[in-house]
Amino acid sequence: MSDFSSLVDLERCTVSPRVFTDQDVYDAELTNIFTRTWNMVGHESQIPEPNDYLTTFIGADPVLLTRDANGKLRAFLNSCRHRGMRVCRRDHGNTKLFSCPYHGWSYDTSGKLRGVPQLDNAYHNDLDRDEWGLIEIPKVESFRGLVFANFDPDCESLIDYLGDMAWYLDIVLNRSKNGLIAFPGCHRWRLSGNWKLAAEQFSGDNYHAGALHRSMVEIGLGPKGDYRGNSPWIRDFEVKCGNGHGWINFDAEGAEPAASQAAFFEQIRREAQQTLSPAQADLILTVHVGTVFPNMSIISFLGFTSVRIWHPRGPKEMHVQSYGLVERDAPQDVRDITRKAMGLTFSPSGIFEQDDGVAWGDIATVQGGPIRSQYPFNYQMGHGHGKTMDDKPGLIHPPSTEIGVFGLYEKWHEMMS
Amino acid sequence: MARDDELVNIELRHEFENVLIEEYWLLDNSQFEDWLDLLANDVRYWAPVRENLTRGEEDFTRADLLTHFDEDKVTMGLRVARLGTGFAHAEEPPSRTRHFISNIRILDATDVNAVKVGSNFIVFRSRPGHEEHLFVGTRRDTWVRQTKAWRLQERLIIFDHDIIENITVFV
Repeated sequence: MSDFSSLVDLERCTVSPRVFTDQDVYDAELTNIFTRTWNMVGHESQIPEPNDYLTTFIGADPVLLTRDANGKLRAFLNSCRHRGMRVCRRDHGNTKLFSCPYHGWSYDTSGKLRGVPQLDNAYHNDLDRDEWGLIEIPKVESFRGLVFANFDPDCESLIDYLGDMAWYLDIVLNRSKNGLIAFPGCHRWRLSGNWKLAAEQFSGDNYHAGALHRSMVEIGLGPKGDYRGNSPWIRDFEVKCGNGHGWINFDAEGAEPAASQAAFFEQIRREAQQTLSPAQADLILTVHVGTVFPNMSIISFLGFTSVRIWHPRGPKEMHVQSYGLVERDAPQDVRDITRKAMGLTFSPSGIFEQDDGVAWGDIATVQGGPIRSQYPFNYQMGHGHGKTMDDKPGLIHPPSTEIGVFGLYEKWHEMMS
Repeated sequence: MARDDELVNIELRHEFENVLIEEYWLLDNSQFEDWLDLLANDVRYWAPVRENLTRGEEDFTRADLLTHFDEDKVTMGLRVARLGTGFAHAEEPPSRTRHFISNIRILDATDVNAVKVGSNFIVFRSRPGHEEHLFVGTRRDTWVRQTKAWRLQERLIIFDHDIIENITVFV
């Protein structure tokens, strides 16, 4: 196995452009990172009933997430053991059997190989069906409804993996008594650019907003001011959470919510007093952005919550899969406002998100040349200036800082060495 | 269909072919403010996400299904205003776009002042560098007659993409 540790300079806080362009780096990531980390594969509310399923990916591997006949969440490679075709080519549904379209091997929702055409005359009944079930991902655990899977049977628990990040995720995912559920459907779009450029931005890059999203400032919808915010350290801060995770929090002055949404927010505020600590409850319904290493990100404001996976598709391409979450108890008009706000801002057509894709794509297009590759990218902003605080976990600094962003590459360095 | 109805249909189809061509002419020439004027004040401009399901199961009217667009005149105005700032980097320098329309069909003209019109579209987008994309799909419009001009009251856009490009264009 190659050692890519020299591509990240932990002392100088720099990262080689090769990290974002080289095929050998990418190939190693698929093994070193994606087979050894907890990866989000869905939300429990998407598969509530026995034999419900959905399909997704972890890294380059196709994944089938099921709730088996006994109601247990399980994850498998969505690939027939005979020739490897996906046994399920639908996004989601309910079935007792997944029948491979190619030769008809069929598996139940617990992964067991049930049917093999011509088992008698072709295989002479000499096939051990227990040996040829779907390849099961050994670890599946949930956090507040989000389902994660890990290929490493000896991995730490999900809650230990999330570490300090769990405290911050709870500000969104546990702010209401009955929690969040997923909207039907998901946004899926292709972007040029390395998956880490997206993951790092959500892990702690507030710095880009004034320049890249200037059009939003110009029309009065972008964050104003100097980016330290109105309450630095208190509600305006960024966090290096450890384990490669990062969080951004800020208290943006925004448009007044509609009356029905404002009333619902008041209900959530009351519920959060019961479900969260006072320090967490003080932060709810501000702007939250974060990344769970390696490639799951969350953005939550205006009442909507998008959780997304930046699926790697080669060193210079990604597919984004974004689910929308909303309170299970939200009335219809609040659900409508929430869904529309997400589409308007953070989606393939989102008036913030459109511009992010262009930045990542441009970087992909122009990097890879022999000269530029010799000069590393600068991640030094705020290095050494983060501090620990009594009221919230992690290493904290008000915007702008890159301590969270570089934390992702410290974890990357550890896993790629 | 009675012969009179057929004639009305032919006339309407011809009329809306002109309306839709004029609309796309505005978009291809970056006359976004003028295009915005074609939208009725109570417009709904929406595009549900697509799903890969068993034949017949996909339902665009499914409650709460995520949408690429679900806009009113205010949010469409924001999208247009953003393009005029000079800092909408996804469209700066602007894409070269070419909008094509075909298969125009009068779906319902029972109310001659609120006509439902179907059409297919292809939008070509060329961005700086060799980045070229197509957006393909179909639309179901409702056009209402207001002060002698047609205004778009509803547009349901059905994109024919599973994994779509980022949508910086109007269709």
